[in-house]
Amino acid sequence: MTNREPITCQDTTWLVSDSCERELTAEEKADLHGHIATCELCQGASKQFDVLFQQIRLFFSKDIQPGGDASE
Amino acid sequence: MTDAYKTSVIDEIATYRPVLFRIAMLQLRDAAAAEDATQEALLAAIQTHDKFEGRAALRTWLISILRFKVLDSLRQRQRQGMPVDPGQLSVELDTAKFATLFDETGCWATPKDAWTNPETHVSRIEFFRVLEACLTKLPTNTSRVFLMREWLELTSDEICSETGVTAGNLRVLLYRARMQLRSCLDVSWDRSQ
Ligand SMILES: [Zn+2]
Repeated sequence: MTNREPITCQDTTWLVSDSCERELTAEEKADLHGHIATCELCQGASKQFDVLFQQIRLFFSKDIQPGGDASE
Repeated sequence: MTDAYKTSVIDEIATYRPVLFRIAMLQLRDAAAAEDATQEALLAAIQTHDKFEGRAALRTWLISILRFKVLDSLRQRQRQGMPVDPGQLSVELDTAKFATLFDETGCWATPKDAWTNPETHVSRIEFFRVLEACLTKLPTNTSRVFLMREWLELTSDEICSETGVTAGNLRVLLYRARMQLRSCLDVSWDRSQ
């Protein structure tokens, strides 16, 4: 690991959103988890994001496939 | 299955019309198209309801049927395309609105004890209502691309070609959607405590 600038809370939120879209790089993951481990505010926010993402999955749940003509 | 049971399932399906319409509307932004998709979803549900077991998940099942109807609707309209309004998009991409969330060093501007803990005992029905209200508060294009991603599960390329937004702007809109939903739910979680 090189001596990179530590990431900010704001950077952290971008990584949280990007992680829904793509696999983060090892460096990004290290930055994200490193920051959250030391930042109480981001720990609170990350708990909220976890619940939000879980609720969104439930809201738009596609667990049950419709019958009949609805499939592709 | 008794006739009385069938009738009551059909009656119950019909009670979901308003919520299905509201969700279709969030995605399609066109009352006639949303009404058609809702109607088709309800008809498909009523025709195939005997295949459906477990009424607890009725809502889930109806939303999954609606999803296919909304996808059909989007495909039909693809010939015309549904480009976003550039003026409205630039408002939604405006950074000023988010500046207050963080201080100049990029740290949360929220006081440390202000976070609400989402581990409250909100019922699922209550939470669906709150989340729907928060989704409705998102700006037009933000909610449209967010639902395309989270509900319809279109790829970024598909969303960009459907809406005409760049990949960079799509990333910003999805970020904004998640940030705004978190803030909106934060307030709701707070109220429920
Ligand atoms: Zn932080």
